[in-house]
Order: sequence, then structure tokens, then C-alpha cells
Amino acid sequence: MRVALLVALLTQLTATSGIAQTYSPQTPVPRTTSAPALRAVAVRREIEERFTIGLAAEGRSDWKAAAAEFERIVALRPPEPLGSTARYDLAIAYANLQRNEDAARELRAALSLDPGFLAAMANLVSIDIALRNLSEARKVADRYMTLAPDSARALYSRGIVALQAGDAATARDDFGKLLHVNPSYAVAHYDLALAEERLGRYDAAERELRSALGLAPGYARARLALGVVLLREGEHGAARNAFAQATVDASGDPALQNIAAAMRDSIKSPQ
Amino acid sequence: MMEAVSRIPLLRVLTAALLAGAIFCLGRFGIAGAASLDDLLAGALAPSAAPALLGPITSAGRVGWECKPERAAGAAGWQEAELPLDRGTP
Repeated sequence: MRVALLVALLTQLTATSGIAQTYSPQTPVPRTTSAPALRAVAVRREIEERFTIGLAAEGRSDWKAAAAEFERIVALRPPEPLGSTARYDLAIAYANLQRNEDAARELRAALSLDPGFLAAMANLVSIDIALRNLSEARKVADRYMTLAPDSARALYSRGIVALQAGDAATARDDFGKLLHVNPSYAVAHYDLALAEERLGRYDAAERELRSALGLAPGYARARLALGVVLLREGEHGAARNAFAQATVDASGDPALQNIAAAMRDSIKSPQ
Repeated sequence: MMEAVSRIPLLRVLTAALLAGAIFCLGRFGIAGAASLDDLLAGALAPSAAPALLGPITSAGRVGWECKPERAAGAAGWQEAELPLDRGTP
């Protein structure tokens, strides 16, 4: 009887110990009574919580709430990688609040904390383009290319900046390299064609546009560009046909459709 | 996301309307006689859009395979890099 009682008691103790292990606390109890150390633990905990809340707010497109969380994190001056990451996330919130100047400032700060932060460079180029700050966009894009020469986004971004800034030679090189690895990316064929057209190489431009249209027959912008190139080559009939097709393909894009229709109508049809 | 980084759509519509009007007027007099044809044609060829912003990053930071935006920023393939599509492209 006594042995049975002892066995039952030991079994109960083992089970209790198992339960206690299962429900161990998630946050360890601070092993210090030092005020600065306790404050550091509290700040670290606040930063983690604000990241969670801020990212959840960005997930539901509540950009104002997200910005408030990341602003507070930045004010707490967290160590790396938290500092550059908080500024990166804050920039996304600002950009969505149409505060592109502030977004650019935060991304530059993130890059000064972490100079190899590729995603921050990528977003900064896009924001500088939106701000029409092409000289800054080009500087960042050059740095991005130096750090990640095989990056498709670096090549594309610098190519777009170069095209917008009138540097067709750089655009041609960048889109050419991008297409070497990504021959099925129709948009890059279109942009390479624009670079070739600006360099006066109409045959190469036409070839790229036909490649783009081979990949995407309904690509209205490429069809319109083909019409322009054909017009430059003196092929008025073929150009008119291209503009007519672009008018059809651009349904749903009134701006593009208006241009295509006006171009089509500006060419006299053969009698 | 693109709406956030750009006010280009409104500008594009305005530019398109002006350009279309100019081309229409030009057409009335015949293309051969147009002194500013080059300018008009060049204006019709707009570069593609800038890439949309890459997404947020957690408190773990950018290093490691779990960080999708940083991976996208360094990827060699256009789809993994999240490069833009245009109307009519697959």
C-alpha cells in the first residue's frame, strides 16, 4: 500500500514538472537589478513591439499608423541592423503618404548606417525618379550597379534613369545586359529600342520592338513605338498600320489611345 | 505602390492630350511639311515606369535568405527582381 502510494506521488511530480517545462515564459526574466541594463531591455522590447505593430499597419496599408511606429523607433536610436531597417520601413510609409522628400531622406540615412543595403538603394532610385531628381537617382544607381553588377533591378533602374536623363548609350548597355540574362522580358526590349532610336539606330530599334511584340503581341506602347520607328525609316504605310493596331491594343489606356489615333490620322492613307 | 512614388499618371494624361492635339493639327497640314515632327515623335516614346518599391523588412534586418526585398534587389532574374510589367505584357 505504501509502495503504491509512493509510485503515485512520484508519477504526479513527474507530470507536474513536464507541464511546467511546457509553459516556460516567452520573455526571460531579466537577470539584473541594474537600472541602465533594465532600461536597455525595456527599450529593446519596445523596439521589437513597435516593429511588429508597424509592419502590421503597413500590411493593412495604414501608412500613418506605420509611420508613427517607425518614427518612434528611429527616435530611440536603435543599433544596427534595427536602425537602418526602421528607416527603410519608415521610408515606405512616407512614400505611400506622398511624402517622397521625407522618404528619400530616410533612405539616405539608412544607407549611411548600412552602405551595402541593396533594397534601400533600389527604393531610393525609384523615389528619386518620382521626384524627378535624376542626378541623385543616377548617383545611387551607379553605386547600386557597383555593388550588384548582375542585379536585374540595378540594370533596369539605371537604364530608366539614363533614358530619362538623355544618356542613351548607358541605357543601351544596361538594357542589353539585362536582356542577355532575361531575353523573355518584353519591357526591356522596348526600353532598349528607345535607346537605339535615340542613337539613330532605327534598324536595331525596329528589331527590338519586333522582339517585344513577339513576346507580347498586345503590348500597345511597343506597337506605338514601332510606328514611330517605321515613320523615321520612311515606311509610312507600315507605320500607319502600326498606329492603327496600337489604337486597338491601347483600349483601356485613353492617353496612349489618343496618341496612337492622332498619329494614325496624321498619316494620309494611300489613295 | 506605384501610385505612391509617382504622380506620373496625371502628367501622362495631360501630356498625351497636348501631344494628341498637336499631332492632330500637324496631320491637317500633312506630315511631310512638319518642322517639329522629330520633337513630336520623340515625345511619343516615353520610357517604361520606374520599379515599384520593394516591401518592408522585419526587425531581423536585411541579411539572410528570409529577407525577400534584399533578395529581390540582388536577383538576376526580372521576375524575382519584381520588375514592372506594362499593359499588354505577360
